[in-house]
Amino acid sequence: MSFDLVVQQALNGISFGALLFILAAGLSLIFGMMDVVNLAHGAFYMLGAYVALQLVQLTGQFWVAALVAPLVLAALGLVIEPLLLRRLRGRHLDQVLLTIGVSLVIVDLIGLVWGREVRTLPYPPGFDGSIAIGGSAYPVYRLFVIGFAILLAAVLYYVHRRTAIGAVIRAGVDDAPMLSALGVDTDRLFAITFAVGAGLAGLAGVMAAPAFGLQPGMDVDALIYSLIVIVVGGLGTLNGAGAGALLVGPADTFGKVLFPEFALALIFAIMALVLLGRPSGLFGRIRIGR
Amino acid sequence: MTIAGAVALAAMGLRRDFGGIHALDGVDLSVQAGERRAVIGPNGAGKTTLFNILTGELAPTAGTVRLGDRDVTGVGTSDLARLGLARMYQRNELFDRLPARENVALALAARPGPYRLTRAGGASERAQADAVLARVGLEGREAAAANALSHGERRQLELALALAQRPKVLLLDEPTAGMSPAETAAITKLIADLDRSLTLLIVEHDMDVVFRIADRITVLHEGKVIADGRPDEVRGDRLVNEVYLGRVLEA
Amino acid sequence: MIAPLLAAAAFAALFTFPEWSGGLESARYMTTILRDMLVFAVFALSLDLLVGRAGLPSLGHAAFFGSGAYAAAIAAQSLRTDEIFVTLGAAMLTAAALALVIGLLSVRASGIFFLMLTLAFAQMVFAVAFQWTDVTGGSNGFAGVPRPTIFGLDTSAPEAMYRLVVVVFGLVALLVWWISRSHYGRALVGIRENERRMRALGYHARSLKLSVFVLAGALAGVAGALSAWSFGFVAPNDVGMGRSIEAFVMVLIGGAGTLLGPIVGAGAVLFIDRVLSSAIPFSQAVLGAVFVIFVLAARQGIVGWVRDTAVRVRG
Repeated sequence: MSFDLVVQQALNGISFGALLFILAAGLSLIFGMMDVVNLAHGAFYMLGAYVALQLVQLTGQFWVAALVAPLVLAALGLVIEPLLLRRLRGRHLDQVLLTIGVSLVIVDLIGLVWGREVRTLPYPPGFDGSIAIGGSAYPVYRLFVIGFAILLAAVLYYVHRRTAIGAVIRAGVDDAPMLSALGVDTDRLFAITFAVGAGLAGLAGVMAAPAFGLQPGMDVDALIYSLIVIVVGGLGTLNGAGAGALLVGPADTFGKVLFPEFALALIFAIMALVLLGRPSGLFGRIRIGR
Repeated sequence: MTIAGAVALAAMGLRRDFGGIHALDGVDLSVQAGERRAVIGPNGAGKTTLFNILTGELAPTAGTVRLGDRDVTGVGTSDLARLGLARMYQRNELFDRLPARENVALALAARPGPYRLTRAGGASERAQADAVLARVGLEGREAAAANALSHGERRQLELALALAQRPKVLLLDEPTAGMSPAETAAITKLIADLDRSLTLLIVEHDMDVVFRIADRITVLHEGKVIADGRPDEVRGDRLVNEVYLGRVLEA
Repeated sequence: MIAPLLAAAAFAALFTFPEWSGGLESARYMTTILRDMLVFAVFALSLDLLVGRAGLPSLGHAAFFGSGAYAAAIAAQSLRTDEIFVTLGAAMLTAAALALVIGLLSVRASGIFFLMLTLAFAQMVFAVAFQWTDVTGGSNGFAGVPRPTIFGLDTSAPEAMYRLVVVVFGLVALLVWWISRSHYGRALVGIRENERRMRALGYHARSLKLSVFVLAGALAGVAGALSAWSFGFVAPNDVGMGRSIEAFVMVLIGGAGTLLGPIVGAGAVLFIDRVLSSAIPFSQAVLGAVFVIFVLAARQGIVGWVRDTAVRVRG
């Protein structure tokens, strides 16, 4: 493999990892706070992409879509949590099952409204070109995605570590019942957490759409990858989402290039191995009684 | 009255660390067959850790455990159970949604093993289960679901499960936990009336129960045994009084 | 006393369905639906052993369904035989072997972790099925699966295939019913209700869980073989997450831990999948919504709800 190719694939891997981080951060947040594996996360991702598509068709503005679509998803999350999930408080397995049902509904309705053919979202103007890296051209948009993810990570990290709301979130991840006993409105906290998680999934959907397109089945792919990322990196922590994404992204990319037949199975094998050897992942925090 | 010479349960040099904490710091314990031993000590003394090691739910960092003449260090819970060791949990571990009778039936069915396609719940099994339930005073409550029983009744059922295993050694983890005086008296009598061929090891906080039942008392403090002897010996032991009771008891 | 008679009557009715429905207009169509419903009932019954009885929430059960289907198809082709004992045997053995491997790695976990492990392993099997084009046909699937012969009896005709499915379903239902009344079945319930206590009583919990995982896998493989023969076709979807979820939905909606539950659930889901889908374009959404409602309000499923109501009315 030539050096140019290596650099290209490395960048592909990192930009894929960047997308995975945005996607997995939401899933990790929800799991860390509420002990719920949101199996509708892929559906949220998919919906974010399709809503963005609709908005771009309406307004012609990618950036409007990139702003509004995640907000739509957050609003949806703000409805789903109190309406459905809250009724199953404490029944973690049932909550997971509920998200499966939600996912079935969302995905089918997407197909109903937008059809089941492959659709594309155009690159935002100004970011549709290529830049010379080494000896060959590399899509600017992918570099943008990397930059955006870094920025997002910085913002999330700042909020998580340096603000009051971040402290509440950290405490909630650590011990939600205690937080409730201390007088914090955990109902509202959980609803907001779920909304933020959904919004992040939607954001990932928007960002990924120009590069990956929109088609049936994208929810399953997204869900599987985000599960792998948070399992490998660490359940329930932002560090974990980042570490996992940075590992899975390049591993998947290089795997597909080097041994395409087994790349998929390889990634799953990594996940299963981590679950068996170190159930809390690289940076996760395992809690008693789960 | 103990069967001279036969050691039912013994621990030697038991050590258990959790990170930097020495929960058990060299514990020696030897219980004769048929003996009734109480283990007491302030909170944090290591009683629960000792218990969990003896029942196979926790492995020691160092030291050995013997059941009869057999080294059972590190042997798992289910294997220990099959070797004749039964346990009464401090916090009830029952089959809440199943009737009391089914709870006991499961305990009884453990010995022949679960890989049988023969029908469960036959008449003889019912009779056996009901007999065990009667023995612990749960006559009439056989069909009630475990979670429909009162707290005292649930403790009785907890004891029934252990007895149904027909163990040689019975470990009781705070049998009177959370009980009213009346319930405490009832279960203390039950335990006191148990057959003398059964070896008992009891962890307890209630001193009245301890002095009523125990032949010997072992006192733990900060992971070490600080006293081991007959009740009147322990009662008068100065160190025990200082450490545990904070004052000297009347002799 | 009534129950076995009812069951025998139901079985007889099912078996002779082609005869007494002959006059009805869409008899052929209904026979097909009934056949597919029974195939999925077998699948759901096998999953219920895990989910309903032993309390193991597996979200990867399609791995065994699909591998059984592929094994039946591949065995028929490479061994050049249609004899049912060979092809069905291959399906069961393959599924059981896969279940043994996956089970060994999965049963040490419980709850959500177990769910994620089974999901991961099933997706691995899917990846293999999708990409091992030489053996499985890859994304195009495996076509031209011949229907089996039983001691020379051909099952190519729709009625014959239907009756084979009815018989196999009957046998599996009988087995599951027998297990539910046996010591083995009760031990599984014990594991579900309080695994820690089971261990303390002397049961080897992990072995028990592994045994039921393999058994459930083998039975799922049987369902897979039936599916391969019914459609003459095996696709990677048969090993996919959608298939696993479908089975879970059947068990839950029908009623986990009961004998009739998975059967009713299979019927309900198939009704939505086949009948409803021809009437409305959002049948999957309906299925999802129904599932959500059951998780929220009727966790015990249809059969469980009926049972609870009967108890309440009586007492």
